[in-house]
Amino acid sequence: MSNNLIRVANLKKSFGGVKAVDIDDLSFESKELTSIIGPNGAGKTTLFDLISGFQEEDNGEIFYKDKNITKSQPYRIARLGMVRTFQLTKVFDRMTVLENLMFAGSNVSNDSLFQSFMQLSKQKKYENSLKEEAMKIMKDLNIEQMSDSYARELSGGQKKLLELGRSIIKKPEVLLLDEPLAGVNPKLAEDLLEIIQSLSNQGITILMVEHNIEAVMKISERVVVLAEGALIADGPPQEVRENQKVIEAYLGTGDE
Amino acid sequence: MKLSAKWVVTILLTIFSIYLVFVLNEEGPLRILFNLLTFAGIYGLAAIGLNVHFGLTGLLNFGHASFMGVGAYVTLLLIPHAAGREGEITESGLPFLLALFIGIISASLFGLLLGLPAIRLRGDYLAIVTIAAAEIFRLLVRDLESITGGVYGIINFSDSLQQYRPIYFENFVSRYELNPSQVWVGLLSWISILFVLVILKRLTNSPWGRALRAVREDEDAVRALGKNAVWLKLQSFMLGAGIAGLAGVFLAFNYGSLQTTTFVPLLTFYVWAIMILGGVGSLSGPIFGSIIFWVIISETDKLAALIFENANGQQLAGVRFVLVGLLIMVLMIFRPSGLLGKKEELLLNVK
Repeated sequence: MSNNLIRVANLKKSFGGVKAVDIDDLSFESKELTSIIGPNGAGKTTLFDLISGFQEEDNGEIFYKDKNITKSQPYRIARLGMVRTFQLTKVFDRMTVLENLMFAGSNVSNDSLFQSFMQLSKQKKYENSLKEEAMKIMKDLNIEQMSDSYARELSGGQKKLLELGRSIIKKPEVLLLDEPLAGVNPKLAEDLLEIIQSLSNQGITILMVEHNIEAVMKISERVVVLAEGALIADGPPQEVRENQKVIEAYLGTGDE
Repeated sequence: MKLSAKWVVTILLTIFSIYLVFVLNEEGPLRILFNLLTFAGIYGLAAIGLNVHFGLTGLLNFGHASFMGVGAYVTLLLIPHAAGREGEITESGLPFLLALFIGIISASLFGLLLGLPAIRLRGDYLAIVTIAAAEIFRLLVRDLESITGGVYGIINFSDSLQQYRPIYFENFVSRYELNPSQVWVGLLSWISILFVLVILKRLTNSPWGRALRAVREDEDAVRALGKNAVWLKLQSFMLGAGIAGLAGVFLAFNYGSLQTTTFVPLLTFYVWAIMILGGVGSLSGPIFGSIIFWVIISETDKLAALIFENANGQQLAGVRFVLVGLLIMVLMIFRPSGLLGKKEELLLNVK
C-alpha cells in the first residue's frame, strides 16, 4: 500500500435491476489529479456518493488511508479530509457568500452551542481569522465583490466558484469534484480549470467527474472510464483517448 | 431606511390594534386588553420557540402543542395541586422554580426523544410525525387519569406562582380593576420573552446560529462539509421545545386549571399563524404578531357585529374565522415574509 490514498474493493450498487456501480478494484493515488469519465448513467456520481458516504453500497469496501470507511457517515468522512462538491450546486441560498465560506471553514468546537453562548475572546479571534481566510479565498476566486450578497443572487458559475471555495477553506487532502465545469461559460471554465490545476499543484488529491473531454484531457494525470457501472479503461489521458472500448462506449457500437 | 419602514408599519399596526380594543369595547376595555396581552405574551413565547425550529433551522414542527403540554404537566404535577375526578390533593411539592426548571428540561428531553427517530425525516414527513406524536401525547395524558387527572384535569396549583406576587403590585393593579393574578402571569410571560430573546439574539448571531441556518438551507452540503447535521437539528429541536414548555406552564397558570383539551392541534396552528404573521425567521416578529393576532381573534366578532347587525352570537363566531382567514390571505399576498421577516430570507417556499 504505497501511495494508495483511496481504494475501493468489490464495490457494488444497484438501483432495482440496474447496476449503477460494479467495480472489482480501483485505487487512487495520493496527490494525483484523476478524472472519471463515462456516458450518462455510467455510475460516476454514484461512485462519488459511495466514496463520500452519501449512499450505502450493496456490497464491497472502501478504504481511505488504509482505514475502512465503508459504513461511515458523510460528515465523518469529510472530517478525515475528504471533501466533495455536488453536480447540482448546493450553496446556502439565504446566507451571504461570506457566511457560506465562514460556516464551511469553522471547526466543530467553534460551532458548538456552548462556545456560541459563552462567546469568549477565543471564539472572536477564531472568527476573525476565519473571516480573513474567507476574504482571501473570495479574492482568489474573484467573487470578493459579492461577499455580502445572498448566495442565491450569484450566477450559476459564481455558485460553482463559491462551492469550490467552501471546499478549499476546509483545507482538504482529497477533493471530489462532481462536474465542476457543467453549465459554466467557456471563460469561467478556463478559470476554474486553472484553479483546479493549482489546487492539484498544492498537493491536494483530486478526483473529478467531468463531461468536458477537452478539459479532462488537458489537466488530468490519469483518466478512469466507467460504462454501465464497470471500469472499462484506466490510464494516462493519451492512452485512454485511443482506447477502442472507450470510443465504442461513447459513440455506440452500431449493432444495437 | 427600508428596515425602519418595516418597523414603523409593525409598531403602528400594533398600536392601532390596541386602539381598536378601546374603540370596540365600551365596558372595561383595559381588562380586555390585559387579558389579550397575557395570551399574546404566552403565545408569543411559544411562537419564538417555533421560530427556532422553523425560522432558524427549517424544521417543520406541527406538534408544538405537545412540547407546551409536557412543560405544563410536568411542572404542575411537581408542585402542590389537585388532580382527577375526586380532586385528589397533593399538598407537598417542589419549590416552583425548581419544578419549572424540571418542566422545561422535560419538554426539551421530549423534543430529543421525538427527534431521535424523526429528525432524519425530510420536511413534510417530520410534520406528519410531529402532529401524530402531539396527538398521542394528548390522548395518553387524557387516559392516564391516575397520574395526570385525565379529562378532569389539574386544579388548585396557582398559589405556587401567585405567592411570589408582591403586595404593591396587587394594590397597583387592583386600582385599575384588573385581575391581579392574570396580570401577574402576563407580566412574567413578557419578562420571559425578553429574557429568551436576549439569549436567542446572542445565539443566532453566533457560529452556532450560522450552522443552523446552513442546515435549513441544505443539509447535504452541511454533511459534505464535515458537520453533524442531525445533532445540530436535535439541538435546535430541544431548545425550541424548552421554550415551548415554558410557554405551556404560563398558559396553565393563566387558565388556572389544566385541561387536556388545551393541547389540541388548534393550539399549534395558532402558534404557526402568529409566527407567520410576525415574520418567519425574525426574532422579535412573533411578539408583535402575537398581539395583533389576539386582537383579531377576540375583536373580530365585534367587528362582524358592526357589519351584520342582526346576526346572533354563534353566527358571529363563524364570521370571525372567515375574517381571520381573509386577513392571513391578504398578508400572504402582500407581505409573504410577515411583518418583520426579511424578504430576502422568505422561508415559506420550503423544499
